[in-house]
Amino acid sequence: MPYSFPLGPYHPALEEPFKVKVQCRGEVIDSATVEVGFSFRGIELLAQKRNWVEVITLIERVCGICSNTHAMTFCMAAETIAGIEVPRRAAHIRTIIAELERLHSHLLWAGVGAEDIGFHSLFMEVFTLRELVMDTLEAISGNRVNYGMNCIGGVHRDIPDPKQHLPALDRLATGLAEIVIPTFTGNPTALARTRGVGRLSREQAVEWAVVGPVARASGLDIDVRKDQPYLSYAGLGFASVMRPEGDVLARVVVRALEMVESIRLIREALLSLPAGPLRATEGLPEIPVGEASIRTEAPRGEAFYYVASEGGPTPSRVKIRTPSFVNIPAIEAMVVGQPLADLSIIQASVDPCISCTDR
Amino acid sequence: MAMLKTILGNLLRPSRTRAPADMPDVPPAYRGALAHEAARCTACGTCAYVCAPKAISFTQDPGLSVSWRFFIGQCSFCGLCAQNCPTQAIRLEAGVPAGMNSAAGDGFRLESVIPLRACTRCGAAHVPLPASTMDALWGSDEAERGYCPECRRWAAGARLRVAFVPAAGEEVRHER
Ligand code: SF4
Ligand code: SF4
Repeated sequence: MPYSFPLGPYHPALEEPFKVKVQCRGEVIDSATVEVGFSFRGIELLAQKRNWVEVITLIERVCGICSNTHAMTFCMAAETIAGIEVPRRAAHIRTIIAELERLHSHLLWAGVGAEDIGFHSLFMEVFTLRELVMDTLEAISGNRVNYGMNCIGGVHRDIPDPKQHLPALDRLATGLAEIVIPTFTGNPTALARTRGVGRLSREQAVEWAVVGPVARASGLDIDVRKDQPYLSYAGLGFASVMRPEGDVLARVVVRALEMVESIRLIREALLSLPAGPLRATEGLPEIPVGEASIRTEAPRGEAFYYVASEGGPTPSRVKIRTPSFVNIPAIEAMVVGQPLADLSIIQASVDPCISCTDR
Repeated sequence: MAMLKTILGNLLRPSRTRAPADMPDVPPAYRGALAHEAARCTACGTCAYVCAPKAISFTQDPGLSVSWRFFIGQCSFCGLCAQNCPTQAIRLEAGVPAGMNSAAGDGFRLESVIPLRACTRCGAAHVPLPASTMDALWGSDEAERGYCPECRRWAAGARLRVAFVPAAGEEVRHER
């Protein structure tokens, strides 16, 4: 007897509200419909009512995890309109913070994923490693979330002693290589819950237009950092990670290897931090009439910003498309024919970020 | 057996939870609660302009004083007010935690009263410039120290005029 039931908006897997209407036949899922929109905050409208400086603070709160990505992408859009070139030191610092943020986001995700498959000790290990990243971010920016690093024209805060952060990176690299990666790829408990689960083929990935690690785990080699290098990525030499399998395990492996690449990028950027000013402009920004679209690679995939200015004190339009906005619907394709018990790890495997999808 | 060893080892180790007295150091860049120095503030309003959640506001006692007000319940600790204040009147103190009780009601509030002063030339009430700025601009015993912004502008214009047309040096009072 087929039956359907609603899962959420309060969730067994994630601490954000979204609803999945599941159609089941016994223990097997027939289909699922995902509904978002439970934490709409009207940020795009608010952004038209705040001046250019205030909007950065506002935009930074689109997402609690990838806050820097959003503020940075918005600043890059404003800089493009105003024709401001960011100093090289500022671009390096932005790259470092963006990659630290990716580390923290992927580690958070790995922890939540471990928790979802009932692997609590792995969750603890991952979150201990994540603390190293959080401490580094805190040492640089002063805060653990909402770092407030970006301003139009550069960055607010310097990294006065780059070498000081290298030992934490070494410890993180060791932890990843010795604990997280071997456990996720070798431990029978972890493999039983991830291998072959929640498949998304390459064709489906194209059809559902997924981005970021989800796309790269389905054999689509897309990454804005490689395809359209911004900040310092071109100079640091960037290698993207791709897997053809398209199951949850592939998404785990892609994210794990991306973390290794992020550590390399951060180390390289710290060691080659150029001297120079932090900001290209002084005082409050003045943005002329114009519009710009900017793409950056957020931890979850491509983030897209369209910013328009009419030359006034506030932006006239800020359009945000977050990576989760395109990744979340693909859950519907992944769960078909899967056991009900795997629903939570399949959902978690796209790393859905509901608040930034709803904005 | 290995498990017993781990359990025993864990029992003999000190607690991993840190006691209140043994908290990790606050990083130097930490952004805590605001501190405001009334003597440096010119009530220019830049801090309120850049504050997205409107945690900073001004009230006036016409002719007597301007009050700079801050409410921690609305603050997001972005630090933009301190970074943009032209006279460095605001600091985000690393020593005072950025905690808050509720966004609506109680919580840490600051109010600094900036007394207005009468202009020594025309008598208009105005916010004086910080002493350090005046020292840098005019030295310590210049008459312009007590001027309101309008009279300062006039004085600067007069100086410029004297430089170009020495004959126009005699006093011309501006209309207010
Ligand atoms: S605190 Fe600074 S920015 Fe704010 S009104 Fe006073 S002088 Fe202006
Ligand atoms: S720290 Fe930010 S939110 Fe708080 S008062 Fe200053 S500008 Fe406003």
